[in-house]
Amino acid sequence: MKKEEQQRDIIIIGGGIAGLTAALYAGRMNLEVLVLESELVGGQIINAHSIENYPGFAAIKGSDLIASVQEQAEKYGAVLDEFDRIIRLDLTAQPKIVETESFIYHAGAVIIASGMTRRKLPLAKEQQYLGKGVHYCELCDGHMYQDKTIAVVGGGNAAIDAADFLTKYAKKLYVIHRGSKLTADESSQEKLKKQPAVEILLNTEIRDLNGAGALETLELYDKEQEERRQVPVDALFVNIGVIPNTQLFKGALALDEDARIVAGEDCRTNISGVFAAGDVRTKPVRQLTTAAADGTVAAILAEKYIQSLKEEE
Amino acid sequence: MVKVYSISNCPWCDKVKKYLKAKQIDFTEYNIEEDEAARDMCYKISGDLTVPVTTIDGKAFVVSFDKAKLDELLGL
Repeated sequence: MKKEEQQRDIIIIGGGIAGLTAALYAGRMNLEVLVLESELVGGQIINAHSIENYPGFAAIKGSDLIASVQEQAEKYGAVLDEFDRIIRLDLTAQPKIVETESFIYHAGAVIIASGMTRRKLPLAKEQQYLGKGVHYCELCDGHMYQDKTIAVVGGGNAAIDAADFLTKYAKKLYVIHRGSKLTADESSQEKLKKQPAVEILLNTEIRDLNGAGALETLELYDKEQEERRQVPVDALFVNIGVIPNTQLFKGALALDEDARIVAGEDCRTNISGVFAAGDVRTKPVRQLTTAAADGTVAAILAEKYIQSLKEEE
Repeated sequence: MVKVYSISNCPWCDKVKKYLKAKQIDFTEYNIEEDEAARDMCYKISGDLTVPVTTIDGKAFVVSFDKAKLDELLGL
């Protein structure tokens, strides 16, 4: 069956804070805007149970913040499709083509705010224990481990936030980090360290996973002592960083060595009318606030780009 | 009959429920944090307690949000 073709002023790829902020601004400029997000609306922060560095809120759940921004964007006419999936792009065409499983869209401009995906645990048995002790979503799966021993691997903000959340279930909670110090905000670290169930293992790598059926032990390697040991755990929650969601754009857009889209503070990419916003863009600081700022810049400059096309006609 | 086993504050559970609503498919939700019998049933179906689990007519189940599998089993 032939797919229905539709026109939009701007298509935003990704429904995190950058994409939704761009949608809000584009909507307020009376542009027809569609946000495509085939994973979770909100992106990485949807799992954050307490955000304490977003101006205006002493503390807010990631899901509440996102619901609020989404509602704000939709109020101004932005449409969000969180079930359709992009299968093909032609970003050099004018109008630009975004083909999903259900539609072929023609758009004046495209804003890419596809964000990042959590890095998988690089161990051979990761798949074997996935869902059976190895998890990536503490909000979804933490409840399975009431009064159990839980480990979190990672040392950044997401890992420490996950560990803090999991203390409500765990009788014992290990934070395992290969570096010599955690990289999360000092305030988050201090809060976690006050929890009596928490033990932080620095300079430590996970070398293997073991268990009959479900995960039962981690084989840890202490890099300082150069020793291996088995540590019994019921669950391991993985928070070891993120990778850019740029598979779709390889070959079309300029990417840096980490596969991020090369774009400056004006969010312009190497293709006219295509903007990159948020964590997916090359930049030195990645925060919620900087993602929102990118969404703002990208929407305003996308509007100017669309206007310039109309003036050329 | 479609059943969704879920917990509170679960983004993928919310996504499955939103999808079923968008497709106008009636379903019954069981919160396995609050309903012990549902918790046991969820474990029996999928072999662990990862949520969401969606069952269709008691014959097939889908873990998490797998649109292709949901579409196939629901005949969408």
